[in-house]
Amino acid sequence: MIRLLKIEFKKILTYKTFWIIFGLYFLFLALGILLAEVMINSMVSNINSHLPIPLPRAVLYTFPNIWQNMTFFASIRYVMIFPAILVIILITQEFANKTIRQNIINGMSRKEFLVSKFQFLVVLSLTVTVIVTMVIFILGITHTDLGSFSDAFRHMDFVFGFFIQMLTFLCFAFFFGFMLRNTGLSIALFTLYTLIIEPILYFLLKAPFMFENKIYTYLPVNSVIRIVEYPSIPKLTGMLGFQIQDSLSPLSLLIPVIYAGILLGIVTYVMNHKDL
Amino acid sequence: METVLSINGLSKRYGKIQAVKQLEIEIKRGEVFGLLGPNGSGKSTTLGMTLNLITPDSGTFEWFGQPPSKESRKRIGSVIETPNFFPYLSPEKNLEIVADIKGYGHDDITRVLEMVTLSDRRKSKFSTFSFGMRQRLAIASAMLGNPEVMILDEPTNGLDPQGIAQIREIILKVASEGITIILASHLLDEVQKICSHVAVLNKGKKLFSGEVSKVLAISDCIELAAADQQLLGETISRHPQFKSMTHSNGYLQVYFHGDVAPGEINEFAHNNGIVLSHLAERKRSLEQHFLNLLQENQ
Repeated sequence: MIRLLKIEFKKILTYKTFWIIFGLYFLFLALGILLAEVMINSMVSNINSHLPIPLPRAVLYTFPNIWQNMTFFASIRYVMIFPAILVIILITQEFANKTIRQNIINGMSRKEFLVSKFQFLVVLSLTVTVIVTMVIFILGITHTDLGSFSDAFRHMDFVFGFFIQMLTFLCFAFFFGFMLRNTGLSIALFTLYTLIIEPILYFLLKAPFMFENKIYTYLPVNSVIRIVEYPSIPKLTGMLGFQIQDSLSPLSLLIPVIYAGILLGIVTYVMNHKDL
Repeated sequence: METVLSINGLSKRYGKIQAVKQLEIEIKRGEVFGLLGPNGSGKSTTLGMTLNLITPDSGTFEWFGQPPSKESRKRIGSVIETPNFFPYLSPEKNLEIVADIKGYGHDDITRVLEMVTLSDRRKSKFSTFSFGMRQRLAIASAMLGNPEVMILDEPTNGLDPQGIAQIREIILKVASEGITIILASHLLDEVQKICSHVAVLNKGKKLFSGEVSKVLAISDCIELAAADQQLLGETISRHPQFKSMTHSNGYLQVYFHGDVAPGEINEFAHNNGIVLSHLAERKRSLEQHFLNLLQENQ
């Protein structure tokens, strides 16, 4: 198993495109995380100008709520699309360079090829999760009063939620790349679906049934996004009357995992039956 | 001799086109086996099936007397159509990946790169390589870890004459080490120069197979003319090595058993009182011969 992962890393680590996209991802991630509080507070002061009693300023970077707040910002579509595109490039390049054929010819089984790719998805998700965790930890330490450290790690389960978000989303991307085999086409269709088609579907499904059923929450990408819901900004959200998620719901974790399972099942079937 | 590859009734259809039909081939250890046929005759499809790239519709094949597996593929070095490598990696890194997949160490990489004279370029990116260099790297990759069998699919396609010569030299060197070679080619001349055994394919069917020297035996003829063609014919048919003759364009085309030099015929005619007005050696071109073989079997 480690052997396959080593091979995978040899393929990737000196690939310039990989590092460029990875770098872009962290740039957007950092911007998202660092500007989150500023953006929310500019909204708050906007609203306040119309209200008789002003809302309090949002505080995003304090323990323990920072875990939920920042994993939410790290998992918005526009940020997660970067590692997804990376995954699409890596799998479609195997088809473009015909290295997938050469790997099989040289004695890799088709199953081993898929296992090596899936292992990579897990490692990539883990890496991103660890980095995000470290960023949150540092931000939290520098923004929290020493007195309230006791429950600093109370909401760390959202970090696990973020890992599942990343892994399932990357599985979706892998599915697109593997089935379409063409780099440009897969990136275009995946981006189109994630950023445009599904939000439109979401809107269309939500509007008429707002209070009757919640079918729109089962849309694939939406189900991933919903694992970690809106930032929990105490006081502010309470005053606005939002219902706040205070822990991960097992069902919301299960739905994207089921989607990813089905897509990987299709990928495995195709891999075993289609000519390369 | 041990059988390396046996193909039993392998078939593959793409829509309306029967790419390979009920193919039967047996290749023994140490043979340099040519798969000869025009483009689209099913050579690549056949090799693709034996390497698990293409799923056959029916039929089976065995490597080393065993059902196909990834382990058997590790004992085979293959160059299929185009050289497939990661463009941004150096030959060294690309070969490391191959060695890692096959489960070999990296010690052999220097040797195979030297064998194809690419040692000095071992650190450059693959994308900077010329086509000939890419093809040589593909052969180096196939040579890694001394495979028992080497599969080469059109290895000289698209190369310049110098490149072709280099590749053929390498193949002959590999063959001399006792490695079984399976070579797919549409070039009769190539198969004849390199191979010991051959199977001729057309439209997915095997026309015939056997030793190259027998299957592709070429008959040369000598073209003659004299003032009295009738007498010339009668005389020449008494030559001890005479085989057959035909008439066309006012010349006699005479076939002999074994080698007969034109000078010898001239002397023979002269000794029998005939003065030749025309004497020429005609070799049937190899390509012509190949086309005839294909036509005869349509």
